[in-house]
Amino acid sequence: MKTGVSRRNVLGKLGAAFAGIMTATAAKTAKAAVQKVFVSSGAPKGYDPTKHKWLMAIDINKCIGCGLCVEACKKENNVPEGPFFRTWIERYVIPKPKPGSFTTRTEAIVDSPNGGMHGFPEPPVPVGEIEQSFFVPKLCNLCEHSPCVQVCPVGATFDTPDGAVLIDPNYCIGCGFCIQACPYGCRFLNPVTKTAEKCTLCYHRITRGLKPACVEVCPSEARIFGDLKNPVPDDPIKKFYENNRVQVLKPHLGTEPRVSYAGMDKEVR
Amino acid sequence: MVRRYAGKIENGKNVNHQENRTFTPRRSFRMPPQIVRLVLLTITIVGSYLVARFFLTPSSFGRYGWYRGEALEELSSRPRSFAGKKACEECHSDECLKLSKAEHHGLSCEGCHGVGQAHADNPDIKIDIRTFSECARCHEANPSRPKWLKQISTKTHYPGQKCTECHVPHQPQEVP
Amino acid sequence: MTEITNTVIEVLPRFEGYVYPNEAGPHPLWGFLIVLYPYITGLVAGAFIMASLVRVFKVRELEPVYRLALLTALSFLLCATLPLLFHLGHPERCLEIMMTPHFSSPMAMFGFVYAWYLMAVLLLELWFDYRQDFVRWAKVTPGLKGALYHALTVGVTDVSPAAVALDNKLGWILSIIGIPSAFLLHGYVGFIFGSIKANPWWGNVLMPIIFILSAVVSGIALCVFNYMVLTWIRRRPLDVRCLDAMGMFLFYALVVDAAVEGLDWLHRVYSAEEGFRVLQYMAREKLFYTLSIGQATIGTLLPVLLLGSLQLIRRSVPELVRKRMYFGSAFMVLVGVLAMRWNVVIGGQLFSKSLRGVMGYKLEFAGVEGWLMGAVLLSLPFIILTVCIKLFLSESLPVTEAAHAAGDPRLEPEEVVTT
Repeated sequence: MKTGVSRRNVLGKLGAAFAGIMTATAAKTAKAAVQKVFVSSGAPKGYDPTKHKWLMAIDINKCIGCGLCVEACKKENNVPEGPFFRTWIERYVIPKPKPGSFTTRTEAIVDSPNGGMHGFPEPPVPVGEIEQSFFVPKLCNLCEHSPCVQVCPVGATFDTPDGAVLIDPNYCIGCGFCIQACPYGCRFLNPVTKTAEKCTLCYHRITRGLKPACVEVCPSEARIFGDLKNPVPDDPIKKFYENNRVQVLKPHLGTEPRVSYAGMDKEVR
Repeated sequence: MVRRYAGKIENGKNVNHQENRTFTPRRSFRMPPQIVRLVLLTITIVGSYLVARFFLTPSSFGRYGWYRGEALEELSSRPRSFAGKKACEECHSDECLKLSKAEHHGLSCEGCHGVGQAHADNPDIKIDIRTFSECARCHEANPSRPKWLKQISTKTHYPGQKCTECHVPHQPQEVP
Repeated sequence: MTEITNTVIEVLPRFEGYVYPNEAGPHPLWGFLIVLYPYITGLVAGAFIMASLVRVFKVRELEPVYRLALLTALSFLLCATLPLLFHLGHPERCLEIMMTPHFSSPMAMFGFVYAWYLMAVLLLELWFDYRQDFVRWAKVTPGLKGALYHALTVGVTDVSPAAVALDNKLGWILSIIGIPSAFLLHGYVGFIFGSIKANPWWGNVLMPIIFILSAVVSGIALCVFNYMVLTWIRRRPLDVRCLDAMGMFLFYALVVDAAVEGLDWLHRVYSAEEGFRVLQYMAREKLFYTLSIGQATIGTLLPVLLLGSLQLIRRSVPELVRKRMYFGSAFMVLVGVLAMRWNVVIGGQLFSKSLRGVMGYKLEFAGVEGWLMGAVLLSLPFIILTVCIKLFLSESLPVTEAAHAAGDPRLEPEEVVTT
């Protein structure tokens, strides 16, 4: 019996390889046809996400609680009416300790009527009994180690190269895991699209040279926005960090949030 | 409960039985039928999963990370409602100049006048010119507001009158 | 300011204290459906562990329930995906979890663990156990049913002793592989909750362990329940030794489960971390009925007392009373474990992540996340089990030698059948 390489063997193997290549090419074409997808460059035209690093910072000393940011965000991003907020304002009222109680500081009374969208009504305690009171705007904290991105089962929420944390509404299955995993309560399930939703830093604005809607309308510069990779002259972010001592929310959870708060009190969670 | 037989059963006969002691070549190992069927079934199932995965995964998936790369373009192509102060300055530069010299220079036009992208695209679409209720939005006295902000109580500060009777919104120090 | 106040939405009476605005919805994000899912997979894992006690640990007394336990596990496993599918915002995109699984997410494990457990463990073990019966039944059963048995043989009709020996050996190997697989099937659900550091009620290293232990407990209880109901429906005598053995395993599993859950409680109370006050308030006010009464008293204390007393004084208790006690304990355990799932899933959403507020939740009747849907989803596995019993544990089908070895509730105790 002849052993070794025979002509038939070689031709057979070549034929198989050729068939394999043809099948792979055919499969790739078929795949594109099946998906009916015209593959685009993936990034917005003229915008390179690797060349920017967006950041927002909050100055609690400057927030006047007008709620224009909350309203603007809802308008700009078509957020449905109801308890769905991409950003909101909390009011902290710290009453004076009761006379004779010798406590250090009483607990804050916190409220956020409709997210603060239409401003705030009278405080829950009379003016004379208030020791401290302030407003805290809240939004996605742009975590370095986002727990929300970690737990998404399908890859619908992600960190972008330019510092935002986004959700792909055409891919999200609406399981709600990311909403549970966010320690800051900044995510919600959109009742109309049935997908998760959150602050996107107005990605559709910042990639075209505009500011996020909340930063745009804020009358008192409580929201500071900038591009760490392309700072403008008199960069407000740089000034913010130079002039303020800052804190972050829930540092013990290890999420490494990039949004810092100047003038934050120990009662703020 | 399985009884073990002393030898191999072939064609119903025990080949190693004494009476049948002719030389028979050792039978090659035969893969048990269960294993054969199961392996085929496994290959079919795993194979169809891999094929399905190849076809059903979006093509831009994995471009920048574990997500659809196209999502970046889709999210950045959404329509805008607010135009931004620069867009207002293009046509209303005189008002913006007056504003920039006064206390309200940091305010955005759309904060008081409402969304402006539609108007910026087509000036025939009118925009709100707000009335006095917008002023109270920021200037209503509230103990939570910082002290550097000028605050009045609408209950005691000329109740019932419009703010614009005594104040010019773009230049708060001026009188109309 | 009054005109501004008028446009503010009324504070819903569901809340006390402060909750984040996004948490202020009318019902929790993960509702009754997500309570049911770990309950069902827990029953699957527990029933399988019970079956593996026969195969792997050679507990001869449990043989009568072996096949019933496996069929129970199968019926419940087939329904396990339904609560998840109904809960998704986009169920039509459910395949994404298998196409682009994000491996850092425990939820992405679901597709593979479920597929592995269903196909490579449970179905395969059932097949190895039943194959010779399928071959035999295919010959004697006419019509569609016969065709079904023939299809289920997957064409492997060799029933020689060597082949049957191989079946048994492979089935035994699968049982061994199946135990960690069952732990993985249910443990990953516990890990989903245990890995959420944002939520102090959930994010806990003991969470997967508690889930697995309560799963084992619920599975054994379900087997007791099913066995007693089946023999009662068929008017057959119970194998009381089998029942005693199941009761013993249920007792010891319950003791271990109660110990670990007690440890969780003790650690929380002792170390009293940041969220402790709001959690304590929530557990006392919002979870009183389901936690103190449902899970602790009905689900743990009473069964432990009943079963424990039986361990001590079994011989002096008349058989009828013993059977009633086993049935009662099993039923209470099943209720208690469902309450435990409720306490974990719903309880974790009844307080705000601001640690300043609590919310209430009343289960609705209708709707996707309501009572009715839950009842339907819980009765569906029993319907499937009935079909399975009619097909695979039918009294009219001949019982083979192998069936006796495997454990078949149709057989009278001590009965020997020749092929």
